[in-house]
Amino acid sequence: MTPLEILAAAKYGAPAPRIPIFCNLFDQGARELDMRAQDYFARGDCVAEAQLQMLKRFGHDNVWSLHYVGKEAELLGCKKILFADDGVPNVEDFVIKNWDDIAKFEVPTDITQQQAWQAIADCLSILRTEIGQTHAICAYVTASTTLPALLMGMDNWMELFLTGPADLRDELLRKCVDFVHQHINALRAAGANVLMYSTPFGSPYFVGNKIIEEIVLPWMKLDLLPGGVADVVYYCGMAPFNGVIDLAFDQLGITSHYISPLADLAEAKRLIDTRGLTCGVIDDIKMIHWTEAEIKSEVKRIIEIGKQGGHFLFGNGVMPLAVPEANIKAMITAAFDYGQLT
Amino acid sequence: MLSRYVQAYNEAVFETDKQAALAVVNGALQDGYSPEDIVFNLVIPAVEAMMARIEQDPDSNLAQHFMTAQIASEVTERMLEKFASAPETIGKVVIGAAYGDLHSLGKRIVIGCLKSLMVDVIDLGINISAEQFVDGAVDNDAQVIAISAMMVHTAIGENGSIKVRSLLKERGLENKIKLAVGGAPYRFDPELYKKVGADVWAPDGVTAAKVIIQLIKEVSP
Repeated sequence: MTPLEILAAAKYGAPAPRIPIFCNLFDQGARELDMRAQDYFARGDCVAEAQLQMLKRFGHDNVWSLHYVGKEAELLGCKKILFADDGVPNVEDFVIKNWDDIAKFEVPTDITQQQAWQAIADCLSILRTEIGQTHAICAYVTASTTLPALLMGMDNWMELFLTGPADLRDELLRKCVDFVHQHINALRAAGANVLMYSTPFGSPYFVGNKIIEEIVLPWMKLDLLPGGVADVVYYCGMAPFNGVIDLAFDQLGITSHYISPLADLAEAKRLIDTRGLTCGVIDDIKMIHWTEAEIKSEVKRIIEIGKQGGHFLFGNGVMPLAVPEANIKAMITAAFDYGQLT
Repeated sequence: MLSRYVQAYNEAVFETDKQAALAVVNGALQDGYSPEDIVFNLVIPAVEAMMARIEQDPDSNLAQHFMTAQIASEVTERMLEKFASAPETIGKVVIGAAYGDLHSLGKRIVIGCLKSLMVDVIDLGINISAEQFVDGAVDNDAQVIAISAMMVHTAIGENGSIKVRSLLKERGLENKIKLAVGGAPYRFDPELYKKVGADVWAPDGVTAAKVIIQLIKEVSP
């Protein structure tokens, strides 16, 4: 079976030789090609090439079209990203500097015509050609209710979201929904077959359940109107969300859930059961200092909780650059060892 | 006397309802309580009650922490203008986001809580070098340096807390200035603060204010 078939088997409960194994390696690509981060991320062909090289070496099941989260802000007019050679790029220039800017803020009529899209298009074109029929090509979509954090800063967005005028908040959210629709359509058209829907405001770690039900969920429903949710994974930026899993099933129809390492995985697995896919996620920040034996033991623990009854995937978070390559290898080797189903 | 107000105020904050919280404060003022009463017998006990509630309830959320800080600092600022005499502060803290880190939410929550608890806070901003942290603490006679880092490389990088610790040691300041850290990476690895040379860490902004005040008390004569 191909990795893509193994993923489908896990999702729908069909027989397979093993569980799917995802390994998210974003910033490692620059090191793989011995490039500066800024130069690396400017070249979609390099991002694709590095991911294919690492895929060959580690043997996991997925690659990513995501360069960095701030890419979405660039598609919406952000002019400056702070790159780092030892970690994740940051948005340095906020498109919305004060509330008055919201009225002036416009979503491009076609985001694929933006210069910032070119690197994503180049990357996806190569990935689709090389492994589109066999592997998961993941893409990252920030939900409308979280996207403003990239446009105006999390604290300014939190302030508007919680205490600002509702009509101004909704005006911004409507524009963000427009962007999300374009983004999802463009990623699917370019070859992405797994959409990681990043919705931290859909986590009770961010806001209370009442706000999630009354404000966040309706906007998430709008985000996900075009094209259905079969390829969508619910993800809260590593924040726990067990308390909203049922809501995500009932209100959004999302059946795949990327569980936070801070959440109770056994509880998540019970809640999801055979209705969909539980993704058990290792705490890869601890992997910076863990020994290979500690990593192996943690992978075993996660997979033993999840693989009973199938419908389970093993994955990681954002794999900090400080995690030694030997530890990444130990994680993947252990996942293959403990993830056998036959 | 103000206990019923404290409860109503905190319920409003816990529901992230700013208007309701401000209405409680206005009600207390109309009932004849002084600005000093509002700060020392309503806002401060309410923030302390929230700290206790968060400690017992790990499921409290970021919005509640944010509103706790925002409302408390806003009310305190308003009341301080009306104080008969300036209140005594309990210490000084310099705070900022680590070098290479542009996130300001966590820092803003800590600042809001500290100010309402009568701590003098010097906000250095975001993307702050180790030298700026140490120089800022020395120039302002601060007892604590507080560093927020939302990304792994800014938490564990050589130019963050590790370098601040090294400078404190080099300049013989370790007994006078303590180092507190916070941010997402520390939640995922609660032992990380030791590896970057910090004295303490906190899992959220409200609790950070509590541990920083404890540090101030340790350093202050």
